[in-house]
Amino acid sequence: MTATETPVARRLQWMTARVTDVIDETPRVRRLVLEIPGWPGHKAGQHVDVRLTAEDGYQAQRSYSIAAAPKALQVTLTVERLSDGEVSSYLAGDLRVGDQFELRGPIGGYFVWTAALGGPLFLVAGGSGVVPLMAMLRHRAAAKSNVPATLLYSSRSGSDIIYRAELDRLAGQGDGLTVVHTLTRERPPGWSGPARRIDRAMLQSVGFAPDAKPRIFVCGPTPLVEAAASDLRDLGHAPQLIKTERFGPTGR
Amino acid sequence: MSTEQQGAVPLDGNAAGGLLGELFAVDVTAAEITCGGCGAVAAIGAVRVYGGSMGAILRCAHCDTVVLAITHTPAGLWLDLHGARKMFVARPDATRAI
Repeated sequence: MTATETPVARRLQWMTARVTDVIDETPRVRRLVLEIPGWPGHKAGQHVDVRLTAEDGYQAQRSYSIAAAPKALQVTLTVERLSDGEVSSYLAGDLRVGDQFELRGPIGGYFVWTAALGGPLFLVAGGSGVVPLMAMLRHRAAAKSNVPATLLYSSRSGSDIIYRAELDRLAGQGDGLTVVHTLTRERPPGWSGPARRIDRAMLQSVGFAPDAKPRIFVCGPTPLVEAAASDLRDLGHAPQLIKTERFGPTGR
Repeated sequence: MSTEQQGAVPLDGNAAGGLLGELFAVDVTAAEITCGGCGAVAAIGAVRVYGGSMGAILRCAHCDTVVLAITHTPAGLWLDLHGARKMFVARPDATRAI
């Protein structure tokens, strides 16, 4: 472990993040590039809490996964706009370059993968649940790790796939990464991939055998996460190797 | 993760990491907590969390015992651990089998 990776024990403090760039990933999903003075660095899979304060003092707080690889120069979040989301409607709507908001992190040492942990690595994502898993894949690429890795990623339609081009590029590097998309609602013409929700048969055919002891990370809407975790246990994967992160009721 | 909708449906223990980070200088989502009800051992990140930014209740995934509750009040922060038998926090530089 190098000095820069040695965690310094400290309590979480609210910091000020300034938006330096805003990029549309999909029609409903935005990448926020942030400048955070004093940011201590993070691990792939960690999240931040974002706190917004209205002029009348009303505060709203939500958690968002960090999308960037640990050694990226800037922190990026990926935010999906939810129709009833009082925080996401601002972060993925009205927010502009130069705006500031409060943020604290990085948070969580449980849903974390570092290249030193090894693999195989089996990542299962639904919708914007891909964000912390993308941080892991970016970290894997940056660390030049070639542990076998598979991402099984469920999206509603082709245009809802977040990071599509980057995933294509990473999977094309021939370093042991496989990406499998399944599209649950709309398929582009000629789509030959899976076209249903993630199920046990898909987890079995796409993922690694339990004997390979893959480290498994599942992130997405609660129903997807619970079904996938249950199926993975039934397939024989050790519960302590299956780590989950749920969004909430639907996450959509 | 994005926790735009919170409350009645449980999230994973990881979601309480921010609240717990107000109190603990080390990350405790990776710590193991032993349930006072049934003795099950789980990472705090793996238990079920109910709540939001002002407080959270963490329940054992096996027997539903409240192993940890943390609540903001105007007077300060309450931490209730009476449902937990013990907690284990690994040294950051220690390596374990899992």
